[in-house]
Amino acid sequence: MRFNEKELISLSRQPSEMASELTMRGPKKGDVFKKRLVKLVVNFLFYFRTDEEEPIGALLLEQCRVEREDSLTFTIIFLDEAERKYQFECDTEEQCGEWTDSIIKASYEFMRKNLIFYRTEIHKLTGKDPLEQYGISDETRFQVSNGLQLKARETSSL
Amino acid sequence: MKIDEKVLCFFESSNTHVDKEGYLYKKGEIKTSYQKRWFILKGNLLFYKEKPSDRDLLGVIVLEGCTVQLCESDEHFAFSLVWSEPGLRTYKFAAEDQESLESWIKILLSANHQYLALLLTDMEREYREALGGATSDTTKTNPFIMPYFPISEAGNASNTSNLHPSSSQTNFLPSVQGAGPLSGPGLSAGQMLQPSAAISTKPIPKKSPKIRPKKATNAVITQPSAMFFGDWAGMAADSQDDFKKMHEEFGKEVKKLISRWAKRRPDGQQDLIDFDC
Repeated sequence: MRFNEKELISLSRQPSEMASELTMRGPKKGDVFKKRLVKLVVNFLFYFRTDEEEPIGALLLEQCRVEREDSLTFTIIFLDEAERKYQFECDTEEQCGEWTDSIIKASYEFMRKNLIFYRTEIHKLTGKDPLEQYGISDETRFQVSNGLQLKARETSSL
Repeated sequence: MKIDEKVLCFFESSNTHVDKEGYLYKKGEIKTSYQKRWFILKGNLLFYKEKPSDRDLLGVIVLEGCTVQLCESDEHFAFSLVWSEPGLRTYKFAAEDQESLESWIKILLSANHQYLALLLTDMEREYREALGGATSDTTKTNPFIMPYFPISEAGNASNTSNLHPSSSQTNFLPSVQGAGPLSGPGLSAGQMLQPSAAISTKPIPKKSPKIRPKKATNAVITQPSAMFFGDWAGMAADSQDDFKKMHEEFGKEVKKLISRWAKRRPDGQQDLIDFDC
């Protein structure tokens, strides 16, 4: 499958808040833990050999879940039939927590769903659609009904 | 550099929202002819295949770091995705008609991650403001509702994002009674909000989650779920201006592209899409 490799490599050079040396193990049987520089840019995880400029690989962080194995280890699990797993070992518990949190929040799908949530809630609280001011109310990607079947709930608690 | 193709293919074939799909003509890199391809836009990824019924993807274009431009071409309804750094390429496309051209340009301009991130920050700020306005009467129940954490993205039990919605995935988490999101004791990692089918039926924890202000970029995050608000909050001050500015720029960009295109057409066709931004 073709992809815009050079442009993606260029993306990997963007500044990022999440860049750490972790040990990482790939999804294939026989893959072992190796020390890598792991960097999160938008919804991609890039991993480099520690002294190299070009990443070895890029991982799209969509349709996955992140699980904490123990205080230092987390796993990214892709939700396909074979359940592809990438495992990472951190230096500290705090670092592990930071990574799991960042990876979840980086997903475009996650962001979109939260946006729909906020849109709905703001509308309930204020009666106004907050996307109207930007003229993007009709964009299908922000529609409330997409993938989220909101139950008709009582609003008496609000 | 390798890319995990299985992950990409799985994402494309999964039941996630398609932002736009349709035929476009794509100019080959080596062969300079235009080839008709079926394109599928999901988020910041533009997938393409020969035709919609094909299972196999021909390729994907990651839409980060590029601009959308009209291009000088013999081909009508032509536009391009341009990466301006030296050595990076330009993808040239042609749409089938004016309507398609305008529609694709508009959506590609806002397909990048940063657009959504800024918009989300803005919405978070508006939500907090709306909550603030609604909680003037503190004796009334004013539920603080945690953001939606779909089960597929939530972590597992121990420490992180441990808010599991019920299996139907259609429900928001139960409300937490308290003075509002900006005060109250913190929600410790061990105290989890219980998932519930309906908000009113489960017992409501007495503590409300604490919002931590965003610290320096290498700050420690110890409570991922409660941090959701804190993370975005630090950006809130600038975000409204940032997003408004960006959005205005997009609007101008789209209008510019369209008027430039219209000038080139002698027959002065009417816009099929009315842009009033």
